[in-house]
Amino acid sequence: MAMLPAAFSLLSDYTEDYAWFPDSASTFAADSDWLYYAITAVCIFFFIPISICLFYFAAKYRKAKGEKAESQVSHNTPIELLWSIGPSIFMVGMFVMGARAYLDMRTIPEGANEIGVQSSKWSWSMDYGRGTYHPELHLLVNEPVKLTMQSSDVIHSLYIPAFRAKKDVVPGRYNYMWFHPTKVTEKVSDEELANATKITEESATAWDYDKWQFTPDGYRFYDLYCAEYCGQDHSQMQTVVVVHETREDLDAWIKKYSSRGSDTLEAYGEKLYARRGCIGCHTTNGTSGTGPTYKDAFGTTRQLANGEKVTMDENYVRESILVPKAKVVAGFQPVMPSYKGQLSDDDLDSLVAYIKSLSANAETTSEADAEATPEENAE
Amino acid sequence: MSAGTVRDPGFPTERENYLTNSKGILSWMFTLDHKRIGVMYLIGVSISFALGGLLALAIRLHLMDPDGWMFRGADANNIYNQVFTLHGAIMVFLFIIPSIPGALGNFLVPVMLGAKDVAFPRLNLSSFYLWVFGAVFFVMALLSSGLDTGWTFYTPYSTTTDTSVIMATMGAFILGFSSIFTGLNFIVTINTMRPPGMTWFRMPLFLWATYATSIIQVLATPVLGITLLLLIAERTMQIGIFNPEFNGDPVTYQHFFWFYSHPAVYIMILPAFGIISEIISVHSHKHIFGYRFIAYSSIAIALLGFLVWGHHMFTAGMSSLTTIVFSALTFTVSIPSAIKVFNWLATMYKGSISLTSPMCYGISFIFLFTIGGLTGLHLGTLATDQHLHDTYFVVAHFHYVMVGGTLVAFLGGVFHWWPKLFGKMFNETGGRISAVLVFLGFNLTFLPQFVLGSRGMPRRYATYDPEFAFLHQMSTYGALLLGFGILVAFITLMHSLFRGKRAPANPWGGATLEWNCTSPPPFYNFERAPVVGDPYDFHDIEWQESDERYVTVQPERKLAPEADPSKSPAHASHKH
Repeated sequence: MAMLPAAFSLLSDYTEDYAWFPDSASTFAADSDWLYYAITAVCIFFFIPISICLFYFAAKYRKAKGEKAESQVSHNTPIELLWSIGPSIFMVGMFVMGARAYLDMRTIPEGANEIGVQSSKWSWSMDYGRGTYHPELHLLVNEPVKLTMQSSDVIHSLYIPAFRAKKDVVPGRYNYMWFHPTKVTEKVSDEELANATKITEESATAWDYDKWQFTPDGYRFYDLYCAEYCGQDHSQMQTVVVVHETREDLDAWIKKYSSRGSDTLEAYGEKLYARRGCIGCHTTNGTSGTGPTYKDAFGTTRQLANGEKVTMDENYVRESILVPKAKVVAGFQPVMPSYKGQLSDDDLDSLVAYIKSLSANAETTSEADAEATPEENAE
Repeated sequence: MSAGTVRDPGFPTERENYLTNSKGILSWMFTLDHKRIGVMYLIGVSISFALGGLLALAIRLHLMDPDGWMFRGADANNIYNQVFTLHGAIMVFLFIIPSIPGALGNFLVPVMLGAKDVAFPRLNLSSFYLWVFGAVFFVMALLSSGLDTGWTFYTPYSTTTDTSVIMATMGAFILGFSSIFTGLNFIVTINTMRPPGMTWFRMPLFLWATYATSIIQVLATPVLGITLLLLIAERTMQIGIFNPEFNGDPVTYQHFFWFYSHPAVYIMILPAFGIISEIISVHSHKHIFGYRFIAYSSIAIALLGFLVWGHHMFTAGMSSLTTIVFSALTFTVSIPSAIKVFNWLATMYKGSISLTSPMCYGISFIFLFTIGGLTGLHLGTLATDQHLHDTYFVVAHFHYVMVGGTLVAFLGGVFHWWPKLFGKMFNETGGRISAVLVFLGFNLTFLPQFVLGSRGMPRRYATYDPEFAFLHQMSTYGALLLGFGILVAFITLMHSLFRGKRAPANPWGGATLEWNCTSPPPFYNFERAPVVGDPYDFHDIEWQESDERYVTVQPERKLAPEADPSKSPAHASHKH
């Protein structure tokens, strides 16, 4: 039981196996943890005497069969009133403290930085304004931030354990939450980042946050989870929170993702594919995910769920991104959320170019007929 | 041994025993005897429990590894989601809610009351068959396209997923009727069929608990039925009650659902309180402490339980005022629960305690339920709930209440009344070992989950971050130990049926009426009308070493002096 001291240590680090709490990285953490410990103290104050009595009585008053009990007292009103009213006082205390701290969590300060949050099965998209969307949540230390959250399909819940903050994202309404980050997430050294980037590129896989414990830009992070069950990939609906030290640093990061810059359409499309959540459902290696694969898809004829056929060309890709439920490929569920309003024309062109680049059929698009590749028909 | 008349019904004969007085499968299927219906319920809920338990083990095995161990391949997450949904749905709808009222309640309510049967025997049988029918729907949902909504069927997920939501909700709807019929039957039975002398405050606390439970069953279950019908209407006709695409509000569903399902938590735990009150008192051979407080607290819990449903939605975005009101109400419900714990301890104080298997389960219950209750405070407090909501802390908390509470009480109750049910004594060593294994396995399973939740591990995750792996593994080992403990209990009980000693009428020395009839009871429960007294008065109950059983010894009654005016007391004479 060597891990016990670590498990009960208040100072243990989040990444340790036996920490009791995650990092305390927002102003809510202090209130919430203090209350947690206070309630736990009250619990222990009652629990220890109760369990001592329980086991002590069981041992002490154990008697041979047939021996009469020492007492047959059946009630004692003063004692009963005492132990009914006594604990109530603690309850009132807990309620009042809890409600006050909660009101703080609900009262959004004036002038908080605003970030939009769009949640859908099974990804997050943070809206930094001026057309910049990214799944990672990037914040500035010591400045309150307000999230305006909406869901495009089912109920999700945005949960950042390090901030002790959680709020459901309910379709059909905006829900708001705010917090005040207090701890900067560090940046790793350039060598470390370069090394990780190299390994990732060589293996041609998506960035492994769990493995590296920092973002593709080299920032360490806090976890952001979906806490309300939302279907198949609920447990993969995670992203990360990065807290920047200076506004310049944050702005530089936002700018980096604000537009295509000098990337080619294909290269930027590939980034968007990873960044905007396509990667969660559409593979590029030929296996079917929640949605059809992109490999060798462009230019083929698709069998639709309603029996019709359609050629997968630029128009079809564009329509499928903006109005996903219009033409669903047979064998798949109409679960994709719409990206209407979230992608610029340049973004759409980039995604089309990227999907095109994955397909051997792309050049023969024009009048592709029913003689599509067999595996496409199998879908 | 004090002088007096020994009152003991002895052993039943073949003919007067409810198990053997008529034979054949049809005599069971069409029986109107509440005891046989209780036994059928016991078999049914045990099968459901075994199924739900195996699913639980599958869940725990899957979570041995952060990337999932049990289910593999592209469909792993889907399978995991279906498994935890079915685990929850089966355990809640088919096991915990019907277990104590259906099995033990059906058997014991009329016997403890001193009645021959429940008020409506045919309704009673139909409630069992509705239960079977509902269970069939659940199995059909499982076999067709599964169910992956979680047992709460939250919209809009449940109105959009392509799994068998309608089949499963129909099942739950039918089970609701079963529950209402049982509750109605108990209310009418207890109100109208109490024999002479059985006043409200001479009723054993198990009956008070059952009565309070029945009130909830009758009042709350219809709300669930309506909600599920609305859900089906929403799914099939898209009428826009819950679905925001048609101007519905998904949170409305949560209000409707928890308006039933929070009181349902008390359908699960109140009968358990009743069982523990009986066990602690009988096996301490001491008058229950604070009888009236316990009885009133059952009713208080039943009523307050209707007012706290909102605490399931502290993070859903209700107005601050609503949230705060629900938090305050939530705390009020913990007081009556605390009162019960204190009363049980006071009952043990200066008692004459026998550490029998039921008593081991009873002690285990008090320990586990106290943890379950106290950790509810972290969740009722608004600020801490924001962090803990929908994490493993919640999972641990409600398992401490439902498994550590209801299941342990149910097992304790089954051991306590097993001699009465089947007329056989079980092996005490086996029973005690099972109680210890269940206790240890349970704590090893769920204590780590409090830490997991505090660290931010969300519930219902098929895969998780590697830093949580160690605690998840501990939890899985605990679940295996818990499963083994329950297996030991099962073997002990089955063994007793074939090899157990014949049970005397009163093996533990209880004073409630069920110990006045033979084990197993005769068809009409009592050979002659039972004498009703204080159900917790142990003065007259003596252990007879020679026969190895408890008997009731009534002091030799001195005949009243002949009516002779000169000998009558002074205060009586001056009337004339």
